[in-house]
Amino acid sequence: MKIKFAALLLALLTVLFSGCSAAEAGTAAADTAAAETAESESSGAAVSVPAESEETSADPDAPFIDGLVYVSTMELDDAKCFDVYFYEGGYAVIRISDARSYLVVPEGAEVPSGAESRFIVLQQPLKHIYLAATAAMCQFDALDALSDIRFSGLEADGWYLENAARAMEEGEILYAGKYSAPDYELILSEGCDLAVESTMILHSPKVQEKLEELGIPVWIDLSSYEPEPLGRTEWIKAYAVLLGKEDAAEEIFAVQKQYAAELENFVNTEKTVAFFYINSNGAIVTKKSGDYIPKMIEMAGGRYIFSDLGDSETASSSVTMDMETFYASARDADFLIYNASIDEPLESVDELLAKNELFADFKAVREGNVWCTTKYLYQASDVNGEIVHDIHLMLTSDDGTEVQPTFLYKLY
Amino acid sequence: MNADIKTPAWMTDRLKARSRYLWILLFLIAAFFFIAVVNICSGSVAITPEEVFEVLFGRVGEETAQYRIIWQIRLPRIFLSALLGGALALSGFLLQTFFRNPIAGPYVLGISSGAKMVVALVMIYFLGRFREVSSSVLILAALFGSLMVTGFILLLSRKLRQMPILLIAGIMVGYICSAVTDFVVTFADDSDIVNLHNWSLGSFSSVGWSNVHTAFWIVSVAFLLTFLLSKPIGAFQMGEAYAQSVGVNIRLLRVAVILLSSILTACVTAFAGPISFVGIAVPFLIKKVLHTAKPIIVIPTLFLGGAVFCMLCDLIARTAFAPTELNVSTVTAVFGAPIVILIMLKKRQEY
Amino acid sequence: MSEWHLETKNLSVGYNGKALIHDIALGIGKGEIVTLIGPNGAGKSTILKSLFKQLRLVAGTVWIGGDDVAQMTYKELSTRMAIMLTERVRTELMTCRDIVATGRYPYTGRMGLLTAEDEKIVQNAMEIMRVEDLAEKDFNRISDGQRQRILLSRAFCQQPEIIVLDEPTAYLDIRYKLELLDILRHMAHERQITVVMSLHEIDLAQKVSDKVICVKGDTIFRYGPPEEIFRDEAVRWLYDLGEGAYDVSFGSVELPTAEGEPEVFVIAGGGSGIPVYRRLQRQGVPFCTGILDPGDVDYRLAKHLAARVIAEKPFCAIRDETFREALETMRHCRRVIDAGAPVGESNRRITELIEAAKADGTLETPGEERI
Repeated sequence: MKIKFAALLLALLTVLFSGCSAAEAGTAAADTAAAETAESESSGAAVSVPAESEETSADPDAPFIDGLVYVSTMELDDAKCFDVYFYEGGYAVIRISDARSYLVVPEGAEVPSGAESRFIVLQQPLKHIYLAATAAMCQFDALDALSDIRFSGLEADGWYLENAARAMEEGEILYAGKYSAPDYELILSEGCDLAVESTMILHSPKVQEKLEELGIPVWIDLSSYEPEPLGRTEWIKAYAVLLGKEDAAEEIFAVQKQYAAELENFVNTEKTVAFFYINSNGAIVTKKSGDYIPKMIEMAGGRYIFSDLGDSETASSSVTMDMETFYASARDADFLIYNASIDEPLESVDELLAKNELFADFKAVREGNVWCTTKYLYQASDVNGEIVHDIHLMLTSDDGTEVQPTFLYKLY
Repeated sequence: MNADIKTPAWMTDRLKARSRYLWILLFLIAAFFFIAVVNICSGSVAITPEEVFEVLFGRVGEETAQYRIIWQIRLPRIFLSALLGGALALSGFLLQTFFRNPIAGPYVLGISSGAKMVVALVMIYFLGRFREVSSSVLILAALFGSLMVTGFILLLSRKLRQMPILLIAGIMVGYICSAVTDFVVTFADDSDIVNLHNWSLGSFSSVGWSNVHTAFWIVSVAFLLTFLLSKPIGAFQMGEAYAQSVGVNIRLLRVAVILLSSILTACVTAFAGPISFVGIAVPFLIKKVLHTAKPIIVIPTLFLGGAVFCMLCDLIARTAFAPTELNVSTVTAVFGAPIVILIMLKKRQEY
Repeated sequence: MSEWHLETKNLSVGYNGKALIHDIALGIGKGEIVTLIGPNGAGKSTILKSLFKQLRLVAGTVWIGGDDVAQMTYKELSTRMAIMLTERVRTELMTCRDIVATGRYPYTGRMGLLTAEDEKIVQNAMEIMRVEDLAEKDFNRISDGQRQRILLSRAFCQQPEIIVLDEPTAYLDIRYKLELLDILRHMAHERQITVVMSLHEIDLAQKVSDKVICVKGDTIFRYGPPEEIFRDEAVRWLYDLGEGAYDVSFGSVELPTAEGEPEVFVIAGGGSGIPVYRRLQRQGVPFCTGILDPGDVDYRLAKHLAARVIAEKPFCAIRDETFREALETMRHCRRVIDAGAPVGESNRRITELIEAAKADGTLETPGEERI
């Protein structure tokens, strides 16, 4: 009797693991397919030099697609996490650094044979987009493509972008649940051709798998992985390809580049800036030295207070430390910027002191150079150039000139 | 045989009891089907019952939204919530009988803490370095965490023969795992913390047929084994010493009970995250209503009861504030706790 | 093949391999009632638990009907031995019938369903114990005495050869104690079921057992029939009792006597003295008494309680010397109580004692107390 019992239990456990590994094998297969894609792309490169087109310089990284003729590669100034390859007939391949590749197929055009297994196929026009990556909304807004979005992962009152909030209030964009628990029924009933997700979706892989199971391709916005601040802004070009608005993107990006260009020859003020917020445990959360915010500070003509903070191996961009450690390094910082995009914005210096009295001892506090960001900074990544400019304004304001940056304000 | 022999009093009592069991079982079966039907027909998208019927019987194309909604969104959820609800009730019953304590629940042995700890580690370290994991990895992580704690408890149970001591040991193990989780969380990004928190509240969202498939096999085998153990469990209700005196192998039973309840709980935690309250409330309610604790009657009834309860809670979780989805633990606690209190008040003369 | 039904040899029992009591050698015949007595913590429960295999034997062997218990599975043992424990069983929603029915488990099938035959046995057991009308009641809601009878019915349903009971009378009042022991005696004699139990009530142990086992220290102090055990100093030594605390003849336990010089002289006889002695002892007053016949019931109790007892030779009339002794002793005491003894041929002279006391002014009749 005992033996039978033990055998049954063993059977149970075997079923358990085989069931799970079957599910895993499914995704493993997908992973190997993607890896194969990467391989075939590089091996196919040798073949991809077309004999006919002498004018175009062949890009060895461009994937070879049967039936499509490679035309050009998008020029990117700062973005490192994606590449765009253009093909005749309006086709394009967007390859994201984590080896996901999207094949954009123009309206009415055919999908090349074999493409389904190698790429995530996005058939234009993309008019019913589910946007759960709140940082990407600004790109759509800048491209005047809000009408292509049908579903949002944030409620109306969560949007700082006026146009977005209005569109939701008027019912043009529907709230479809947050990224971790989308309302699949709603999305399916209206039809959705693309889900734009942020990196948060990586923590809930089952949502991504479900969306794909339901036939909705998933685009993951990895702009937050961009090392350069303008690299993030340059993602507007990737979205532009999806929406068929490449020219508008070039113009918009150029404006942002201009802000940065103006400051290229500016001699660094050598003034130090600390950028942080205080979490619910009373600890200080600040950015790694290699993150884009410190870079923006450098571009704006200042110095980030931590020159070598953080481990570049991990994906997270923040470092948590206790007040003592922060005090030791940041006490003599010339400027303090409080990151209100995570925590609530501060109204006055007193509020900062209320969080921790030690701040009274900071140089920036004593000299009255405490600033705070607006709440929705992360919803404004399309205008990083402007933000750099704002930081520049802040850095040059301590001689008494009145400045009015858009994304920062001074605390008194 | 005299025609006017009266049925002895004890026999009518028995018949009354038996008809009671039958009625309750029938009621639960009816409730099961009713709630299942309501579940299929409800959602943020309105689908009429006729349309539902057509979809179920294949008269509608597979690419239509309605087909997808019913077959890929609603049905897997309904099946899984029923299966896992029953699993939780069963697990709770096993532990309550085993520890002879009505507040023992499926998570009393620290299983959900163990699962959460491993899921936290995977989320924070794996995702930190490898950028992407599949959902199976998180499922296996939860499973591994649960079974690791189970294994540890089984080892402890060889040394700690007394039940109350083992219970305390289980609670302590839970605390250790929670402490490790908190430690790991201190170094985590806010996004990790938010996601971990979401996971730990439990949800049936985004479940697929492969999950249902695996869960079905695990839960039904565990259910069958538990049902076959009705006799020794019944003997055990009088305590270890008496059970042993009628021939029950206590050591084997101990291992079997811990293993079965842990596998059931691990299954739930793996596929839907920790769902609180069902494992404590449903056995309690069912036993009160049936007026008996006899395993052979209680086990199937409370499996059904757990299934019905969980299906109902999931229905509320996904439709009450659509498109926002509530975590199912919120609903089970808010919904169930007052009912338990009410029942306790009504029957307070007994105590 | 031994002639004993339950036999042990070189048995050592204890916890975690350490022997608490060793070299237990017992031979118990079929249908005998054997009781373990001894102070708390002596190891009575340990021995019993080892007998029904809840505890692993440290050394030695136990045989039932010639079969080694260590070789038996719990299932086999359960058809031959049933138990009843002291602790109150907390059950949940189990009726009395459910409890009794668990006694049939060794005989039922895989799912534990009772056949019609099993049901009859259950019903029969309950009728014998006269608890059949409690059948559908919740086990937790009946009285202690009823509960023990239910547990006994359950043990009976197991159709055992031996019943082992660990302090079965612990929570019972006197009526149920007697009832229980009576039922056990019936089971042993009529149905030849061997009973092995531990009791705290040594007086009851003396009265109901065929054999008594005295457990103290790390061995069995004595083992044998009650007549042999309940003799001389044995009980006093076993329980570390003081003088006069246990009456072997009557199996009664007495509280310690008052210290000091006797204050009261009780004129008693024919059983009249008993209530007075008891009252004085309760008040802590040392006393003397006389003139008693040694066969008198008063004498037996006075021997334990009184500081001094004046007695005449059995069946003789009171002689002068005895009378003088009594008078002298009486005059040493402050108070004299006339217990109201019936006066007959042999103790006629106590009336003189009473007169003397009256003349002295020290006489009280019971009920008329001078402080």
